[in-house]
Amino acid sequence: MSQDAAHHAPTSTGIDHKKLIMWLFLASDCMFFGTLISTHLLYRKLYPTGFTDAEGHQQFVQKLFNIELTSFSTFILLMSSFLMALAVSAMHKGELKSFRRNVLGVIFFGLIFLGCQVYEFTHFYHQGLTIQNSVLGSTFYVLTGTHGTHVAIGILWLVLMYFYSFTGKLGGHVGALDVEVAGLYWHFVDIVWIIIFTAVYLVEYLGPSGIWGNGLPTIAK
Amino acid sequence: MSDAVIDQKTIAIETERYHHFITLALWLAAITGVEIVLIFLPVAPVVILGVLALLSAIKFFAVILWFMHLIYDARLLFWLFFAGLALAFATFTAVMVLFSSDRIDTKWFS
Repeated sequence: MSQDAAHHAPTSTGIDHKKLIMWLFLASDCMFFGTLISTHLLYRKLYPTGFTDAEGHQQFVQKLFNIELTSFSTFILLMSSFLMALAVSAMHKGELKSFRRNVLGVIFFGLIFLGCQVYEFTHFYHQGLTIQNSVLGSTFYVLTGTHGTHVAIGILWLVLMYFYSFTGKLGGHVGALDVEVAGLYWHFVDIVWIIIFTAVYLVEYLGPSGIWGNGLPTIAK
Repeated sequence: MSDAVIDQKTIAIETERYHHFITLALWLAAITGVEIVLIFLPVAPVVILGVLALLSAIKFFAVILWFMHLIYDARLLFWLFFAGLALAFATFTAVMVLFSSDRIDTKWFS
């Protein structure tokens, strides 16, 4: 058994129950996001024409997306994951002040990411992409919105943990384990975005008209 | 952490990990930068797509192995998560193959 697994009350699996249940949840969430990403990619393949705005003009995804903004928010989320790893490490070392500093950083970066997403959604809405007017809008908003909700829940969790640390109850190996479990959730949010960034955003820029093309799907008669 | 005695071994392990985390964060940032540059290169889209998929997989596994401690933790946790991941990937593959656009009959839409 590794160093990490040795710091908890004995269990039949040798793994703390909180950590085990979190990993099980993350495995199920993998399937959840896997389905959402599959749905988005499938409909991008079947309906590659983008969407029609309020004035009836055909709009293409490549011109709608802002790759600079999305890259920035991706970088922010990756760095928040780094800070979360440092926060967990600080708790294992018993450095509560360092933990608080890093968790505040994670919360701050998480809020920046959410701010970018709100800006992006608002921009897309004003460009005519709504959740109702196209297949693209439906799958895009549901997928990225679900991810954003996960980020928001993660931020709320970390804010509560930050304030909880001042009560003096967040200590010892149990406290470190609680922070580690919260960290697992946050890192998961990050890895889901790694996939979304590539599968939803970057592929739209491949070739002159995106990987899906701009024309109608080729359908066998 | 006032109510706990942290042994020197744990501190040494965490200090070593600290350096790994910094190195990994730099690599993750660099790979993301490479991905952004790649999409603007005049290379066949299918090639770029393959490279992007590979780079994403590297980032994905780097985070779960080091940041999420799977490399340090019990193997069972890795296989639990891998089971969910494998099911998700199988779902993705099945959906994309089953609903391949060039196999859809237009009568189905009308």
